[in-house]
Amino acid sequence: MNKSRNYRAWLYLAPVLILMGVFTFFPLINTIVISFLRDYNVTTGANKGFTFFNYGVVLGILEKNEGSGFTDNSFISWNSPSALSNTLLITFVTVPISIIISLVIAIEINNIKVLKKFFQTVFFMPYVTNIIAVGLVFSVMFSDGGIFNRLFKLMFNSSISISEGSTSWGASMLVLCLYVIWTALPYKILIFLSGLQGIDKQYYQAAKIDGASRFKTSLRVTIPLLSPQILYITITSFIGAFKEYNAVIGLFNRSYTKDQNVHDLYTVVYYIYDKINGASFATEMQYASAAAVILFVIIMIFTLVQMRVSKKMVVY
Amino acid sequence: MEIRLDGLTKIFPGDPKNDIEPTTAVDNLCITIPDGHLIGLLGPSGCGKSTTLYMIAGLHEPTSGDVYFGDENVTSLPPEKRGIGLVFQNYALYPHMTIYKNIQFPLTSLKVEEEEKSYEYLREIVIQNVLKDYKELIDIILNSSIKGRISKKKASQEIALRKHLSIYVAKFIFELGLHTASDPKAVVDEAIKNSQQKQAKIVEKISAKGATLSEEEPGLLLYNGEPHLCVRKISKDEMDALIRQAAALVQIEKYLDRKPSELSGGQQQRVAIARALVKRPRVLLLDEPLSNLDARLRIQTREEIRRIQKETGITTVFVTHDQEEAMSICDEIVVMKDGEMMQAGHPQEIYRDPNCFFVAKFLGTPPINTFKGYFKNKSLYIGEEKILTSKEDIEDQEVYVGIRPEGFLMADQAPEKDKVLTLNCEQVVTQGRDLTLVCSSEYELNTPLKLIIDSDIEAKEGPIKFALRKNKVFVFDKDTEERINF
Repeated sequence: MNKSRNYRAWLYLAPVLILMGVFTFFPLINTIVISFLRDYNVTTGANKGFTFFNYGVVLGILEKNEGSGFTDNSFISWNSPSALSNTLLITFVTVPISIIISLVIAIEINNIKVLKKFFQTVFFMPYVTNIIAVGLVFSVMFSDGGIFNRLFKLMFNSSISISEGSTSWGASMLVLCLYVIWTALPYKILIFLSGLQGIDKQYYQAAKIDGASRFKTSLRVTIPLLSPQILYITITSFIGAFKEYNAVIGLFNRSYTKDQNVHDLYTVVYYIYDKINGASFATEMQYASAAAVILFVIIMIFTLVQMRVSKKMVVY
Repeated sequence: MEIRLDGLTKIFPGDPKNDIEPTTAVDNLCITIPDGHLIGLLGPSGCGKSTTLYMIAGLHEPTSGDVYFGDENVTSLPPEKRGIGLVFQNYALYPHMTIYKNIQFPLTSLKVEEEEKSYEYLREIVIQNVLKDYKELIDIILNSSIKGRISKKKASQEIALRKHLSIYVAKFIFELGLHTASDPKAVVDEAIKNSQQKQAKIVEKISAKGATLSEEEPGLLLYNGEPHLCVRKISKDEMDALIRQAAALVQIEKYLDRKPSELSGGQQQRVAIARALVKRPRVLLLDEPLSNLDARLRIQTREEIRRIQKETGITTVFVTHDQEEAMSICDEIVVMKDGEMMQAGHPQEIYRDPNCFFVAKFLGTPPINTFKGYFKNKSLYIGEEKILTSKEDIEDQEVYVGIRPEGFLMADQAPEKDKVLTLNCEQVVTQGRDLTLVCSSEYELNTPLKLIIDSDIEAKEGPIKFALRKNKVFVFDKDTEERINF
């Protein structure tokens, strides 16, 4: 009886297990393995054994072609924007800002009585909009003749154009961050709103009787009671921001400055994608794998730190 | 503070689209609650008692009518300006704050108006006074050790508790390091000297402001010889003292550092009361405060509430659906039904003298026994049996008769042998002090009938003839359900 039930359970699980095995677990392990193989060939699987060389190349310490005198600084670099620095910048700018903005918006939507449903819908709209379409709209708005730059010229007599050929890293990064924040809002607002609806109204009544102002109530009562949702959103958006890539594609469809040479808007995932998908497809998989493993370790460290911090802050 | 409700009405709007009629939750309620009384709003669920409480609190806006605190009309005041403390049914303690922070929360927003005093100056005086008895302080610190270790937190708490100081002054004293100093006397002398210097500086600052210190009342500031009123926030030291006072009143001093989830229901209840009382409200409102507790705790806590109310003398309104609870602790109860006040008065008086069928049925455990009856020739009949005769002139009519469980006597002991009521006894329940007879009758309106008689009487199952005590029999009009006096 027990045995046959076991068998049936495995049968039901099989489709998912097989798919996950093929598309998740095998690639995951294989990535780690490949990242430690010297001169790995994707098509034949040939390699020259275990090495740390790939990590050295990715981190810009070792030369890819020994004796060439050229190290690849596009992943990490001390003196120019690199994949890692861009990713960290995007993460630490957009995640806190988008969380704070969405928290404020969610609390305010929850406070209003009329048109609540209307505003809920309005703020959720960007979520159902295609991200590439939003990117196109942003790139038009921030182009030379776009509405933002016209306004900017009127007010500050300068521009933050991101049109090709006239752009700087700073302007591009600013617009990129704005874009990331904008697209990140709706989901966060949705989660926070559902969290807010789960908070007992009596806490607000108690705070009201205690004479707490609305701001104080939000800060001392609402936000702590929302801490489980805030933790969830923080962890998922940190992970999401570390994997940022489609924003760059959606907004710029490129990662290069005008001299076509410096990867000034690279992100870590963009770097990995380029390494896999570039002209050097067959010979650079091991570098992509090494970069992916580095990203994995970074994300894991951040998540562990957040879990540790959250033990003190989160109330369930 | 006297509370007066004048024609208070609350109508919750309906929704014509979904065929929902407007609901009148409270209908033209007029009650005066004397200063310092504990009053119970009593009624079945849905009778509007909580709505009334929330209107007194200011969380619901009345549709019409006014609420007065003393002579002040507070109807349009928001809750925070009414000076009330409210204890919610499920306490609504902030789960993320410690008990200390929970009780502190109302104080952080509180502003008080009083004569300007220099609390810095008072603090120095307190420090100097406490340090005079430094040997006791050292004892307290050494005795506070847990497994031989002295922690700052525990020692300061102990000093604060024993010497009635704020935790901040206690911490300051601990940090002097009296218990480790080789010559504590020298440390104390040094500290007192420092404190005196600080005091001198404070005096200088005060005179720079153009004020002088009062000689009669320590710390009071005088401007041209007159005290000066000012509105200010409460200082940390004062908050600490108030929190500890409130905690002591409800006996939860030990749990101040815990979170609400680490306390039992009864303890949470006390915390909720402490939080409501800490800002010295004019009125304390309790919304079914005992309904989440088990039976034993309920009895204990309701006596506790009575004690706290007596100690503080705060006018208290208490909402409950449990008549026993209301009767046992309230100075006065208001029985409500369908948003209307049915009867108000001293619990015992209402029990003894209900003015309508509803009130008679609602009060008392076991509940009153009710029968169909009628008047004929000034005599009250149940079925064929004449049970009582009236001296008043009462016309013949059908009525409801209510007889309290303790209103029955054995017929052979009664003086008038012709006026009896025969009931069929189904079960005899011994309860030590007295007997409960579970009976039935052809003319009963509620089942089962329950009678309480003296345990010395031997009762057997089967038909029993009872005589009735006249003051335990109430007669009500069949249509209006109002009391008929006979």
